[in-house]
Amino acid sequence: MPLRIEPLGPGHRPLLAGFQNQHPSLVEYLKRYALRHATRDLLARTFVAIDDTPSGTRLAGYFSLAAVSVDRAAAERHPNLTRLPRFPIPGGLLARLAVDTRVQGQGLGRYLFEEALGLTLHLAKAGPVAFRLLIADAIDATAACFYERRGLVRLGDEHPCRMVLDLRPILEP
Amino acid sequence: MARFQALTNNVLDAELEMLRKRLGLARSQKAELLREVAGLAAWIVRQAEQGREIQARDGNNVEPLVHPALERVRAHKARPVGQSLALNDSEVERLTAVLGRPFNPPADLRAALASLANPGRRPPKLRWKKVVAA
Repeated sequence: MPLRIEPLGPGHRPLLAGFQNQHPSLVEYLKRYALRHATRDLLARTFVAIDDTPSGTRLAGYFSLAAVSVDRAAAERHPNLTRLPRFPIPGGLLARLAVDTRVQGQGLGRYLFEEALGLTLHLAKAGPVAFRLLIADAIDATAACFYERRGLVRLGDEHPCRMVLDLRPILEP
Repeated sequence: MARFQALTNNVLDAELEMLRKRLGLARSQKAELLREVAGLAAWIVRQAEQGREIQARDGNNVEPLVHPALERVRAHKARPVGQSLALNDSEVERLTAVLGRPFNPPADLRAALASLANPGRRPPKLRWKKVVAA
């Protein structure tokens, strides 16, 4: 069976322990919080890439999506920002995207990003709520370059770096 | 409450006294003791904040450091979802530039959108490397 993307559920629990990534926080989130956030806390939904290999079923990667509202830290109006829509601005947050170390460099990250973008665009276009932005938190410089090549723009300079893509031009007919 | 505090203080004093002896400090060096303990604790919390697991290793025996305070630290760091993102002024300015500019997607975004529109889109076939990261 080819690689498939599934929403993370209790049935995936045995696969979580085998996931490897160079960022411990991405491993720890998957192992400790992703299922709880998806099923109990309803904070984020995680989608996992499941690969059936001759040696068994493996979890090759994942991404987590959540709704987010972008606001301003400072309340006063900025004279140069009259073009900006009124805050808060709704968006989809690609909170995490990770590929197992053993299958990196084979296009899975790109594929997972496409899946996340596709789900967000579908929600923004046909869902019951409006999304103007896709926001991603790039965990390091490599991830920031990955997102930058896909049109996301850095808002901050430090890592994890908050990056944003305006969905409106993509959604316009 | 006062009795609880008194008991707690006694336990804390006893533990600090044991630590003082182990760290080779004199009775008069309580400030140094607290400084050293705080330094060690700060290192542990910093590691937990960065998502690292702290373990004691002795050959094949591995004992992870488990403590409710570290769970709180990790839970706090793992909660950037479903919330309001507050942008500072420079971030707001950059966002304004993003929202105001003409649509000129880079090649990889065009490719991603074209791929999504392709009904024959397939996931990559993966080859699992045998090397297991430490």
